[in-house]
Order: sequence, then C-alpha cells, then structure tokens
Amino acid sequence: MSVAAVPASVPTPVYTPPSRLFRRRLAILGALLVFLTGAGAALQFKPWMLVTDFHYLVRLAGEMLPPRIELLWSKASLYSSVAETIAMALLGTLAGGSIALALSLVAAGNTTPHPALRTLVRFGFGAERATPNFLVLLVLLIAVGFGPFAGVLALTIGSVGMFGKLFADAIEQVDPAPIEAINSVGASRWQVIRYAILPQVLPSVVANGFYAFDVNLRAAIALGVYGGGGLGFELQLAMKVLRYQDVLALILLIVALVTLMERVSDFLRRRILGTTAAL
Amino acid sequence: MTPPHLASHRASGLRRLLRPALIALTLAAVVAWAAVQCKVSLGELARGAVRGVEVLAFFFPPDWSAMPELFGPAFVTVLLAAVATPLGVALSLLFGLAAARNLAPSWLRTPARMLIGLERALPEIIILLLLVAALGVGPFPGVIALAIGSIGMLGKLLADAIEEIDARVLESVETVGATRWQIIRHAVIPEVLPSFLANAIFRFEVNIRASVLLGAVGAGGIGFELSKAMSLLEYERAMMAVLVTLALVFGAERVSDVLRRRVLEGGKLR
Repeated sequence: MSVAAVPASVPTPVYTPPSRLFRRRLAILGALLVFLTGAGAALQFKPWMLVTDFHYLVRLAGEMLPPRIELLWSKASLYSSVAETIAMALLGTLAGGSIALALSLVAAGNTTPHPALRTLVRFGFGAERATPNFLVLLVLLIAVGFGPFAGVLALTIGSVGMFGKLFADAIEQVDPAPIEAINSVGASRWQVIRYAILPQVLPSVVANGFYAFDVNLRAAIALGVYGGGGLGFELQLAMKVLRYQDVLALILLIVALVTLMERVSDFLRRRILGTTAAL
Repeated sequence: MTPPHLASHRASGLRRLLRPALIALTLAAVVAWAAVQCKVSLGELARGAVRGVEVLAFFFPPDWSAMPELFGPAFVTVLLAAVATPLGVALSLLFGLAAARNLAPSWLRTPARMLIGLERALPEIIILLLLVAALGVGPFPGVIALAIGSIGMLGKLLADAIEEIDARVLESVETVGATRWQIIRHAVIPEVLPSFLANAIFRFEVNIRASVLLGAVGAGGIGFELSKAMSLLEYERAMMAVLVTLALVFGAERVSDVLRRRVLEGGKLR
C-alpha cells in the first residue's frame, strides 16, 4: 500500500451556487448602493468633499482652539443665560405636562366624556407631534416677540404633544379592577379618576416628566438659536461675529450643563419613584 | 406620656401632612423663580393670544397654487434624510461596537462612550452651524450633520443592547475558537439586529423631522422654502409649506411604524 495515497475522506471541492439568502442580501446591498448613489447625485451630495474640503474643517478647529474658557467667568450675562435655559425647560415641562395630563383624560378611551372628543384630542396630539418645534416658535415669535417667553410657550406646546399621547396610553392601560371596585360603591367620575386612575399612572407621569425635561433642555438650547433666548442665543451670536474661541467655550458649557442636568434628573427620578409608595 | 406606638403614629401622620406641603412649596418656589427668569407675563400672553390669532389669520387660506412647486423641496428633504440615515447607521454601528463593555477593550471603549455622550449632549443644530461655518451652506453639511446626529442615539442604544447580550452566548462561540470578528459576526449581530434595525427606522423618522429643521438654516428642502416664505412675509405660501411638512412627517411616522412592527415581529428579517 502506497503511503502517498490520498485518504478517501477528503472531498474534492465542488462549486456550490451561492445560497438564496446570500443572493438576497447581495441584492439588498446592491439596491441600497444604487439608491445612495442616485440620491446623492440628485442632491449634489459629494462625499469626496469630506477629503477635498477637509482643510476647511481643520481651519475651523484651529480657529476654535484654544476655547476662551475665561468667558465663563468674565461674562456675567452668561449666568442669566444658563438660568434662562434651565428655567425655559422647567416651565415648558411643567406647564406642558399639566395641560397634557388634563387633555389625556379626554384622550383615553376609558375616561373620555365622549368618543368623538377622544378622536379629536388624539388627532390634535398627532398634529402637534408632526409639527417641528421651531415652526411653532416662529409663529410665537411674531405673537409675543423675541425672548425666552416665546421659547417657554413653544416648549409647552411641544410637551403637550409628546406627553399627551404617552399619558393617554398609560391611562388606557390601567388595571380596571380598582375602577370597578370604587364604581360599585358609588364613586363619581372625578372620584374614580382621583382614587383609581391617578395613583396607577403617577409613576409613569413622573418618569416621563423627567425624560421630557431632558428633551426640553436640549430643545431650549436649539430654540435659542432661532431667537428663543438663553444659551442657544448666545451661541448663535458668538457664531455670527465669528468668535469661534467663544463658540467652543459655549459648546463646552452646553455639554457640561446637559450632562449635569441629566445626572440630576436621573438622581431625582430614582429618589421619587423609589418613594412614591410613601407619598 | 404618649405610648410609644401612638407617638410614632402621630409623627408619621405629621410627616404625611408635611411632605406633600414641602414638595408643593418647593415646586411653587422653583416655578416662581423660572417664571421670573423667563419674563413670563400673563398680560403679555393675553395680548399675545390676540395678536397670535391675528397672525394666524395671515396664514389662511393656504396658497394651494404653491403646492406643486413645493413637492420638489419636500422630496429633497426626504432624500437628505434617506442618504443621511444609512451613513449614520454605519457610523453608529462602529461606535456601538467600540463602546460595548463585553466586546471592546477599555482603551477603545472609554473614548467611544465619551464621544457618544458628547454628541448626545449637543443639539443637532449646533453641529450643523459648525459644519456650515466650515463648509458653507448646502446639502453636504446637512447630510453630515444628520449622520453625526445619529451616533448619539443609535450608538448608545446599540452599545447598551450589546452589553445586555447573555454572556453564555458569547462564551459558547468563543470556546470553539472564534476570533473577535467571528464573535461579532455570528453572535453579536444576530442578537441585536432586530432592535438595531427598528431603532434605525425610527431614526429615519427623526431625521426627516430634523432635516426640515436643518433646511431652515440652509441645508435646502422644505424647511428652506418655509423659512424663505416666512422671511418674505408670504404667510399663505408658508402655510402651504407647513401642510406639506405635516403630510410628510405624518407619512414618515406611519411608514416607520409599519416597518418597525414588521422588523420586530421577526421572521421577515432576511
């Protein structure tokens, strides 16, 4: 017996056609590439600009460095801008949350006075969520003028759309047993809401409230850029006069502020939700 | 002397009264401070409401004749979001993998987490303003701003999802000698793909909204038309742009809802 004999167990490579799954994935990838190229061409989006124009980005970075940190203590008006931004987010969240809670009782199937009203309010929430925040601000700027008040109103209206749907969904998902229980002892509609529904949705209202505050803080900064006052306004001002070292200092301040407030609201939420039973 | 069990009862009764009062007081103080900060005035609100109704009257009736010429810009807005979303998804994939505790070494994870956090803290509009300052107006900075804007949300969600993968799944692939890339390819991706895709679709919806907003600052599309009409005081045309925007966003929401449900129900994911 020859030692060089090839063991019979080694199969000769046979061409196997690519599996259906593989071909399908390839087709999806190809379609995506074709679409991206076509859409990019239609938009005159030139990805190579990232390479050819890279020196502009470098130059901007050079102009921003080093950040003029001393701005944070040399410019006193900055403190009131920070306070203004936080206050805008706070008021927008509280006012929007209260209005949303009241409206969500109408928008929830199990508490609504009339199904037609429910549809109407739900549609209103949907329309509000579809409207970009800055659009609401543009109208408000004409109505009440430039400044933080217009920002507060825009955030309030925005929060109603965001909260309203969440609250109404939470109310519709409550356990019906407590409602029936106190209904059977002759509770009025208001008593049912107060003693059977509110206690059940309170944790979700509080949790969503803190979440909305985080969202609104960022939105307050963004709205400021459009003329709503606060830090965003300062930033846009610094950008208009091309003081990029100030811009970077303000950006660092914004990042610090948002991160800090997120920590604070996280801490408070955990404390409050941990002790709702004792309230 | 009061028996101890009654004393404690009375104390808790007092606390039960005191606590809501304290909370209400704190809340009232905070609201009062915030109201002063923001120069809230009910008189201004009342006057503003009257003025607001007058202003709103300018917007009606919407200029229906402008509708056909607004379809083009609306399409541009969709395209902006559609090009930005895959780019953002690809970027977030890299960042998400790099930021997951059970995959990436700490020298990679720490900066990745930091960058994700940094991006999350910055509103998109600021990123766009910086890019516009560097590169000028146009769709290019808009698309890049939207793509970068996806990293904060999608990257964080992906990293968190990867960290929640059952360690036994990863170990079982590792014990048969898989390399890091094989682990990612055969254990991580299949585990997180449905939720990642669902989030990516949701991001597309968010990007449509954002691209309307970015358009107002010069990225083009329906947002640009809207802000142009507003600054030219062509309110009826602006209203038409608003209606087109609403239809666009509503449509995107519906499509994204349907797609997400399909993806999350699984099975159709191949």
